[in-house]
Amino acid sequence: MNAATRALWNPIVAKEYRTRMRTWRSPLAITVYIVLLGGIGWAVFAALTFSSSVINQGSGSLGQMLFTFLILFQVALLAFITPALTAGAISGERERQTLDLLFVTPIAPFSIIWGKLLASMSFVVLLLLISVPIFSLVFLFGGIEADQVVSAFIVTGVTAMTLGFVGVAFSTMLRRTLAATVASYGAAFVLLVGTLLYGLLFPTLADASSTTQPAPPAITLISPVIPLWTIATNLPVTGYGVRYTNVNPKGGPAILSSSGGQQYCAPSPQGGVMCSSQTAGSSFYLFSFNTATAIPSGLFQGWQYWQASVVMQLMISLAALLFSALMLPPVRRFRLRRRAVPPSRAE
Amino acid sequence: MIAVEELSKVYGNRAALDHVSFEVPVREIFGFVGPNGAGKTTTLRILAALLAPTGGKAFIDGSDVTRDREKVHSRIGYMPDFFGVYDQLTVGEYLDFYAACYRQPKQRRRKIVDDLLALVGMTERKNQQVDSLSRGLKQRVCLARALVHDPAVLLLDEPASGLDPRARVELRENLRELQGMGKTIVISSHILPELTELCTMIGIIDHGRMRATGPVHEVIARLTSGRRLHIRVLDEKEAALEILTPLPSIRHVEAVNGMIEAEYDGDERTASDILLALTQAGIRVSSFAPVDGGLEDAFLKATSEEVG
Repeated sequence: MNAATRALWNPIVAKEYRTRMRTWRSPLAITVYIVLLGGIGWAVFAALTFSSSVINQGSGSLGQMLFTFLILFQVALLAFITPALTAGAISGERERQTLDLLFVTPIAPFSIIWGKLLASMSFVVLLLLISVPIFSLVFLFGGIEADQVVSAFIVTGVTAMTLGFVGVAFSTMLRRTLAATVASYGAAFVLLVGTLLYGLLFPTLADASSTTQPAPPAITLISPVIPLWTIATNLPVTGYGVRYTNVNPKGGPAILSSSGGQQYCAPSPQGGVMCSSQTAGSSFYLFSFNTATAIPSGLFQGWQYWQASVVMQLMISLAALLFSALMLPPVRRFRLRRRAVPPSRAE
Repeated sequence: MIAVEELSKVYGNRAALDHVSFEVPVREIFGFVGPNGAGKTTTLRILAALLAPTGGKAFIDGSDVTRDREKVHSRIGYMPDFFGVYDQLTVGEYLDFYAACYRQPKQRRRKIVDDLLALVGMTERKNQQVDSLSRGLKQRVCLARALVHDPAVLLLDEPASGLDPRARVELRENLRELQGMGKTIVISSHILPELTELCTMIGIIDHGRMRATGPVHEVIARLTSGRRLHIRVLDEKEAALEILTPLPSIRHVEAVNGMIEAEYDGDERTASDILLALTQAGIRVSSFAPVDGGLEDAFLKATSEEVG
């Protein structure tokens, strides 16, 4: 077994698989997961077919809405499950007093973390796989392409992975599993909801000097919600994370530019920014609205929302992994505090 | 095999270890004695390269515990003062897991597990869940776990704590067997009579300082001022006390619980002279036994006052 294989596949992974699947918790988690996901799918389907407006728009629209609900609900479910899977990974070993026993073996601390992560993430992948039949129902109605499903699953998987890595980092840092679990759920809330709130509180400001169509702040894309929404609906983000600073004093649409007469501008439902000129009495598009689901401006200009989200989440995962690997060894090469000086022997 | 030189460990303002030094040659069983919080576990954790010392050095088979951690880990079998078992694993799987952690090839692991289970007398428990075992049996599994990579040195932290007398006897037998296999063993314990019987060397530690170290009988002789005798006589207790008190070798004599307890200076010949003096005076002696409770006395003496 070479070093790379040993790092990726170590006894901890095998032991974790064995012990995890022998408890009643795993089958229960799988059952609850499927029941909830299937239940929400059925409820949304029932509600949508009851609503005549959706039926009039055709079955493709129904499929798209069903997919949107399912994929967002799935990511919310995983946000509840993943911290529980990983928050006890290291602190649990500490509490069970088995961590020292692993430290005296030749297994590297990084391999311990990797083994724990691999085992937890395998369970998440299992959950994602068993949800595929439910998602395949969407194809009965159409409106969703296979590539949308694949990108949505990539975003969901990476989100779960990020939450898992952050959970292990807290598990390494905090001595108690309870504290690590609370911190991991807190971090999950910040990553998924907090970043969205950031977009509401501190939106991108668009004013008269703007030359490109504004996009929500990059940090808001850490949350998978906007990217999953854009994947499912195939529509650009409108009305979120952007504030038009030149407010029309008479009410109505905001004023984006005051050059060339009075212009009232606002985000268009089709994307882009629509402005109307009082002098000309006609409406026109100030910016190209045909941005589809690409980010129109900012740090990730031209990227798909989900690509930006995946990249940022991978960076968080990497940081969490490095942090865990540095914090775990019992005898660390670096110290957060200065070393105490041994007293000279009292004679 | 083990050399500890001026080892210190400071937590905040408190010195857990204060320039502790001792040596354990190959194949010796070194008993590490001290009250709670004396520094036994700290010393063993430093020797197991799980804790960095604040000062001083420690070597296992020539390898510095702070520099050659991997080499040290390959030479030691460490058994902490807790069991450290996983739920949902059988005894066989538990040992196989640690054997795999020690990079033993899969083909060899089955034999290693079977041999170790035979060594600790648990072959028939191979398929039982580790978590469901009694304390004594868990302790045996943990001893087997410390041996999966056939280490030359065993560091056992309070292995007898919480065990019933039978389990203690079994543990003692296991350790003797391991000594016979050439292992060097360091064992920390509160149970002093056990250590006297089992250990060849001893170190008494208190408040982070090594009070005395060396071969067991040397340490006892150094710390206790005299030997003790328990003597039973049929009727003439007062007469016996009158005969014993003036003897020059007797340091102290008194009647305790229907028998005479005498402390004397000298060796076995002196003891036989004392017996002769009693019998020649016509005292009918029914029991005459040297008392081997020396380690307890030595321990109390060492931990109650400074020993040079």
